[in-house]
Amino acid sequence: MRPQSLDIAIATTGWLCLGMMLLIVLLRVRRLLRARRQVALMAPYRRDLLVVGAGEDHDGAGARRLARTHGPAAGEVMGSAVEMLGKVRGTPADELIHLLTIRGEVSEAARRLSSLLAVRRARAAHVLGLCQQDPAVPQLIHALGDSTVEVRAAAAHALGLIGNPVAAPPLLRAVGATDAGIPACVAAEALLAMGTGVAGALLDGLADPQPRTRDVAAHVSGVGAFTRCRPQLRALLRDDADLTVRQTCAAALGAVGGAEDAEVLGRHTRQGVPLSLRRVCVAALGDLGDPEALPALAMLLHDPDPWLAELAAAALLQIDPGAGSTLSDMAGTEATDPRRGRPVASALLVAGLRGAVTE
Amino acid sequence: MTLGGGARVLLADDDEDIRDLVAFKLGQAGYAVQAVDDGMSAWEAFQADLPRMVVLDVMMPGLSGIDVLRKIRGSGAPEVPVLLLSSRSQDADIDLGFAIGATDYVIKPFSPRELLHRVNGLLARTR
Amino acid sequence: MSAAEVLVVVRGGLEWLLALGAAPVLVYFTVVNTFSLLIIVLAALELRMQQHRDSAEVASHVGELIPGVSVIVPAHNEQAGVVQAVKALLTLRYPRHEVVVVDDGSTDQTLQCLVDAFDLVPVPRAVPQDVPVEAVVRQVLVPRDGRTRLVVVSKDNSGKTEAVNTGINAATETLVAIIDADSVLEPDALLRVARPFSDDPIRMVASGGSVRAANGSRIVDGRVVRVQLSRRWLPRIQVVEYFRAFLLGRAGWSRLGCLILISGAFGLFRRDLVVEVGGLNNSSIGEDFELVLRLHRHLRDQGRDYRLGFVAEPVAWTEVPESLAVLRRQRRRWHRGLWETLSAYRGMLLRPRYGRVGFLALPYYWVFELFAPLLEALGLIMLAAGLALGVIDVEFALLFLLLAYGYAAFVTLCALAVEEWGFHRHERWRDLPLIMAASVLENIGYRQLTVWWRLEGWWASLRGKKQVWGVMTRTGFDGGATRAGRDRAAR
Repeated sequence: MRPQSLDIAIATTGWLCLGMMLLIVLLRVRRLLRARRQVALMAPYRRDLLVVGAGEDHDGAGARRLARTHGPAAGEVMGSAVEMLGKVRGTPADELIHLLTIRGEVSEAARRLSSLLAVRRARAAHVLGLCQQDPAVPQLIHALGDSTVEVRAAAAHALGLIGNPVAAPPLLRAVGATDAGIPACVAAEALLAMGTGVAGALLDGLADPQPRTRDVAAHVSGVGAFTRCRPQLRALLRDDADLTVRQTCAAALGAVGGAEDAEVLGRHTRQGVPLSLRRVCVAALGDLGDPEALPALAMLLHDPDPWLAELAAAALLQIDPGAGSTLSDMAGTEATDPRRGRPVASALLVAGLRGAVTE
Repeated sequence: MTLGGGARVLLADDDEDIRDLVAFKLGQAGYAVQAVDDGMSAWEAFQADLPRMVVLDVMMPGLSGIDVLRKIRGSGAPEVPVLLLSSRSQDADIDLGFAIGATDYVIKPFSPRELLHRVNGLLARTR
Repeated sequence: MSAAEVLVVVRGGLEWLLALGAAPVLVYFTVVNTFSLLIIVLAALELRMQQHRDSAEVASHVGELIPGVSVIVPAHNEQAGVVQAVKALLTLRYPRHEVVVVDDGSTDQTLQCLVDAFDLVPVPRAVPQDVPVEAVVRQVLVPRDGRTRLVVVSKDNSGKTEAVNTGINAATETLVAIIDADSVLEPDALLRVARPFSDDPIRMVASGGSVRAANGSRIVDGRVVRVQLSRRWLPRIQVVEYFRAFLLGRAGWSRLGCLILISGAFGLFRRDLVVEVGGLNNSSIGEDFELVLRLHRHLRDQGRDYRLGFVAEPVAWTEVPESLAVLRRQRRRWHRGLWETLSAYRGMLLRPRYGRVGFLALPYYWVFELFAPLLEALGLIMLAAGLALGVIDVEFALLFLLLAYGYAAFVTLCALAVEEWGFHRHERWRDLPLIMAASVLENIGYRQLTVWWRLEGWWASLRGKKQVWGVMTRTGFDGGATRAGRDRAAR
């Protein structure tokens, strides 16, 4: 290696290091300056925005002033308006939507849904959702098939904000359509915001070949109290290939089920079923609250797994708080096996601490 | 609508928009609002000068609203009404908040008018 | 043989060694630093996407499909800080979580402090044996109000592994988080680290959160309220190390789809899977690393589709060693754990069945983490001996220093740039030049020391020496800048 090139290499590394240090400082300076610039641009209009956001713009003067901004300040004002829109509801939200509409931000967002930059597409979807743009629903449904997961998630979220149930079937399909699909939590939230019209979509979702889709559909069925889905939930609890889906179905049945669901839940508390599923089913039986479940729960009080036994006792008390005395008799006869403890006594004690037992 | 009478309200939210918005709304209604941007400052302000009422955002870095509430309730100060603001109707936040001693709860996105009514109501009840 | 003859022989040997080893060593350092740079670029891209996602979904902390979490806290003689830590954990923002403290036969007032602070009463509950644990459980206690979701399990002393496994057994939620009693979590830590699970509830099996060094920061009530740099150089250098290794290393690897190391201070696992693979392994010191590898192997053996998640935004803070003695013990233990775990799982190396883990991640760890100190030591020896005996030319010396340390400093500065761009947690201007200085200073003395310590640890393992846990002296987290250095198992 020739000394000269070595010297160059050393010098280069030195300069690169210094350059990187400079870059770090510049990044910070840029960030701070940008924030300051934003504040400066917004300064003349900040009060008007607050007046509108607080719902105090009774004569509409504030909104008019905001609508008249132009140049770089306009971009800042509109951006702030979008941010504020995400934080308020009621009259202020309506006024902010009106402001964004007359300034063409909404139509601009609709255009930007087909931008080349994923960031722009995601933000556009977000704006359309915040502005409750029902006419944009077909476009947003199309965006559910975007190549980038961030855009898909933004589209799903927006569809939830708009709340039109016609988007439910494509949304559910998109959940498992690709590897990343749509994040399950985003999809579930969006579906729940769409109201009762999604029942049909949920039924289809429960039959979807993708486990994540089925999971979302099952969860929404439970939380949203979609009783029409019960037969399907029972079927999936019985023989879905994925354990997580089965557990979600069990929990959903606990939330939305009726007397006839106690049987299937009870069946899945027996030996031979995976332990985690058994425990979920026991808890679900307690949530279900139906006396049909009592025999199955009573059998579990002697189960070798102490936590399962305790859960069963707790569920029993949840369904029938008056069972306290029967259970305490049983607790008295529990063998003191250190490996197993005394689950019934334990459940009684905890329930008593909570004040949930009646005599 | 105007009840304020200069009553001191301590407001803590790391989100500048919300902070300014609530301060503005309450200010218009006649309250004297002291706005801070994080939990630690809120606690220090609370200790320095007891406010008539506290409005706390739950989601703040460092000391969260729940943490500040815990300190306020544990401080032995007279029962100052505390209103919590949270970004989602998470049952857990509500449960935890009330368990620790929150007086009321408002979910974001919120209606500023509703917030004002709540504040007025709380102060009227706890005169 | 006279001294001169010996010298000639040594010189000859060294020349031969140099001829053989010079190029490989230089190539090695070029490759490892370039690879690190690539990982950092990948991490930056990942960060960018996450940032845009966060900004596009305002207030997107979700509430649906969030699994319950049991936070497991093994505790041994932690009377100084355990109550504070548990209070801070109980008030984490999360829809459904419980705290399971396992008192590993403490000989101080740990248990009594907990009983007093939370008004605990014993409950005749037995902890299930989902994961086989030998030590006897003495007591299970819960708060008297029946509502606070805290469980304290007191057992005979048998080490951290069994304590954690007992905690796993006593846990009742879907996910388990294993944390150290002195980790300080952000209020939204659980929400953030559980996010991958609510995004993909079917396949996600584990997720990790980024850890930062808290030394020097202001901590109140178990929360970091002000991020400040320590006054001492040793922690400062470690802050830089943590940026580079934990934050970007993990994020980059996660993007490549083969995350294998979840920070010991904060990882979230599916409880049923941890039970399936048998909990933590008693004989290994690289516990969390070993668990993750075991999960990889188990799931791939079964042909199951699974994912590991990583959250780049910092979620937990930890105290790093402030003295050389404690740091030395830590690094020895880490490298020893690395060796033992990699060696135990060498069957996964380069096997198609283990996919990217076997072909990308594990070979990387072998060559660039395990053997790194060896090659660096070799280079340093060649450098020193060569210069002393006049065998070496200055060119090689400079080239070596450049590639091993100059380039490394540059890579670290790149990591800092990404940190500044993405998270900018260290807001004080006066901390910035100190951090930058630390990333250069790291290469002057600090790294060489860790090379030696890592080799020590490795050698101790090869010789079959038993690992001895250091003495933990703790004065509690709150209360300012100085605290006794402590010894911790987690990486």
